[in-house]
Amino acid sequence: ERRSSSLQHKSALFPCVTGQKQTSSHENWSLSPEEYETWDRLYRIKEGDGIKEPVLPQTRFATLENLEEIPEQEQGAAQELSLWEWSLWQSRPFPTALVGHSEPCHHFIRVMEMMEQMRQEQGDCSYGRELQPHLRVEDVNIPRNKRHLHVANS
Amino acid sequence: QRLKAAVHYTVGCLCQEVGEDKDVQFSKQSIAAISEITFRQCETFARDLEMFARHAKRSTINTEDVKLLARRSSSLLKYITQKSDELASSNMEQKEKKKKKSSAAKGERTGEKEAAVAENEDYNMS
Repeated sequence: ERRSSSLQHKSALFPCVTGQKQTSSHENWSLSPEEYETWDRLYRIKEGDGIKEPVLPQTRFATLENLEEIPEQEQGAAQELSLWEWSLWQSRPFPTALVGHSEPCHHFIRVMEMMEQMRQEQGDCSYGRELQPHLRVEDVNIPRNKRHLHVANS
Repeated sequence: QRLKAAVHYTVGCLCQEVGEDKDVQFSKQSIAAISEITFRQCETFARDLEMFARHAKRSTINTEDVKLLARRSSSLLKYITQKSDELASSNMEQKEKKKKKSSAAKGERTGEKEAAVAENEDYNMS
């Protein structure tokens, strides 16, 4: 029932569509009292709703010092949005509405597809086998023992 | 294919180092996946770098463009900026002629390292 009522009130959020009168109280960047009321009643997540506040995961680098702000204390009270939970769904493009898939997105899909194919493999790897004959020694840096450990630490 | 093979080899070396460092082993398949991601990420980087340079009305990609690749993370940006400063100061000490060469190579190398970092992230997630 929430959903249907939110649809009804959708027009209240776009005063430009519904007429001039409502626009006048909405010169500010913030919500007008009416809009606040709508938001508070229909969309705002409250204690009794039984759902957690959605949060996005923070960027963490395993190999660099992290400068980003420390995540808030009450991690358990929030629902961290997962980007990997549905990874099995991600080996094909999802439908789009107005914005098409970007080039990086297509790369992502193809790599997920490739990983899906390799999931069954044991031991020897078809990817490596295919590329092996194309490797030229002059393209790669053979003695790179110390150099990259340093990179990982600094 | 030759390029992919070189990336694959290098990723393998890097993974081995990380593996020794963290005391874990990477399966051949995960190394293959990281290689493929790295290879594809280079395409994205190349395209972005070209666009950033063009946006500044340049046709030559410089270190500022490379820094823009790292803009989303202040940690990464700081790291790349440090590296870039280090390279710049070491270049200053060298002869004028050499300076030109290494700054051209620098862009590539920085991008590569960053790719490796990003790939580790991806791997950790999956």
